[in-house]
Amino acid sequence: MNATIDHMVSLIVFIGAILLFIGLFSQTIQTAVVYESHKALSTKTSDLLDTILLNPGIPGDWGKTDVRPAGLGLQDPEFTQYQMSSFSLMRLDSSTGNLVEYDKTGSYYSNLSLGFGASLLMPKAQELNYSTALTLLGINNTYGFQLTLTPTITVSINEKQASSPLNLSIRAIGTGFPFAYATINYCLIQVTLPSSDADYPSYTIQNGVTTTDWQGTADNITFSSVTDPSQSYSFIAYAHLDGIVGVGYHTRVSTTDQYVVPIVQSMSSQNVSLAHNYDLNNSGPEGSSLKYNATFVISTEDYTLSELSLGNSSSLVGTVTSGVGNPSPTIPLPECTTGILIVTYQESSTQGGVVLMPWGVSSLAFPVTFGGNPVGQVWVATDIRQVTIGGIAYQAKLALWSTSGYQVNG
Amino acid sequence: MPQVTIEYMIMVPVMIMQIFLFPIAASVIMNTWVDSRMTIELQETAGHLGSSIQQLYYTMNHASIASGSLTVELDTPPLIEGHYYNITLQNATNANTSIKIMNVTLSLAGTNDKTSTLVTLGENADWQNNVIFLSNSTTSIIATKSSGSICLYFGGDT
Repeated sequence: MNATIDHMVSLIVFIGAILLFIGLFSQTIQTAVVYESHKALSTKTSDLLDTILLNPGIPGDWGKTDVRPAGLGLQDPEFTQYQMSSFSLMRLDSSTGNLVEYDKTGSYYSNLSLGFGASLLMPKAQELNYSTALTLLGINNTYGFQLTLTPTITVSINEKQASSPLNLSIRAIGTGFPFAYATINYCLIQVTLPSSDADYPSYTIQNGVTTTDWQGTADNITFSSVTDPSQSYSFIAYAHLDGIVGVGYHTRVSTTDQYVVPIVQSMSSQNVSLAHNYDLNNSGPEGSSLKYNATFVISTEDYTLSELSLGNSSSLVGTVTSGVGNPSPTIPLPECTTGILIVTYQESSTQGGVVLMPWGVSSLAFPVTFGGNPVGQVWVATDIRQVTIGGIAYQAKLALWSTSGYQVNG
Repeated sequence: MPQVTIEYMIMVPVMIMQIFLFPIAASVIMNTWVDSRMTIELQETAGHLGSSIQQLYYTMNHASIASGSLTVELDTPPLIEGHYYNITLQNATNANTSIKIMNVTLSLAGTNDKTSTLVTLGENADWQNNVIFLSNSTTSIIATKSSGSICLYFGGDT
């Protein structure tokens, strides 16, 4: 009897050992399979990021047209390597920002505004959306992704003193480090509001150069010409060191109740409408008018702004009036040149301001976020590349996840 | 007497059977692991191959390259768990588009593992449709551009 009990106990222990062994071994194997899946996802992330960044897409100039591309790529067709097209990036349907309805066209626009003073509104219907991008990349139903392009150098401007003189400080920081001893070329766009109804608002540009200290800060940039604390101006600063360039801007206006909003209508015809802010999302009454003056400037090699003629368009100065029945002026922008559209506007002899619109996201270092939301995904692989867009340093990051969970399907 | 029967006629064979259960269980689990690993690696290789072909095509398609040939050495494994795999390039172009879509299919020899990936190329891309390349004798991808057309094919040991 004792021997039988011994045998039964041994058997039970033996079976227990086997079950324990199978359990532990299976767990280890499962962990290894998951690891392999993650490794495959990492490889796919790197491949996909290079595929997106190292080809201009099909057709190569799709960023300058309104057509849907047949192949997705963001490389500037005129360059090689990691040099992105500022225009192709404009055509990506941003994951951030709110949709804006323009009452006069009844169409919706993606709002890429970065605070007051600089905005980029792109027609939603002509943008490349996320689901189309998945199809073009051949990863529909298998992977999801989010592509973000963030300026490598963040240039922020603070107003230390409002007037007499205007005193500004600039801080330039990289990704976790101060942009020390960098040269900063800056320009002040100072708005002039005429008292005569027959004249239109204009601006003058003052250029200057300074250097950041070891903390990436440049203080005491003064402008004695600004004697009124409500004086409208825009300030743009280019921080550069050893080929790395960053851009920052700051705008002050005397009124934010009424202002002009440039809206891109078509990339192929390069037409930009000037809208009254009351006509966006039906936010104000009809019949309110603003005088405006639009110019287009480009950044030269020495980081000064140079005005580029927009031809003999009669709409470069005029009046924009709210209300569906009132036509909106249209400004034709250059086809191949990135730059900044500067629109000064005037509500009354003392109220007015200035708005900037980058023509090409890099002109004012706008960030771009495109794709799905990685939050909540089981496992997300990321990869980054350092790229340049229109000469401005950006960091491109791709986050990729499998839409079928842990198992990666090719 | 019944106790002896239980001990030697039932328990001992069961005990002996347990001795075999260990390696059998280990073998089954290992086979599962190897199968999973092979599948994942085949998928990873297909994806990487597709991306390599696409990047090579776009490099050659750049306006600055009028004509010529470019070779990219493959960094994909020639064997997966000791098996070679067949690479087949097929035309999966949709009639509604002007672009060409290449279907890169990989099938692992001696197994049922098979995977494919789609590669979007321009209308000037060309390749040998349905020709099978063996992974253990394929070391590079070659793109040749002439008269605006870009021909893609695999190269072997030289």
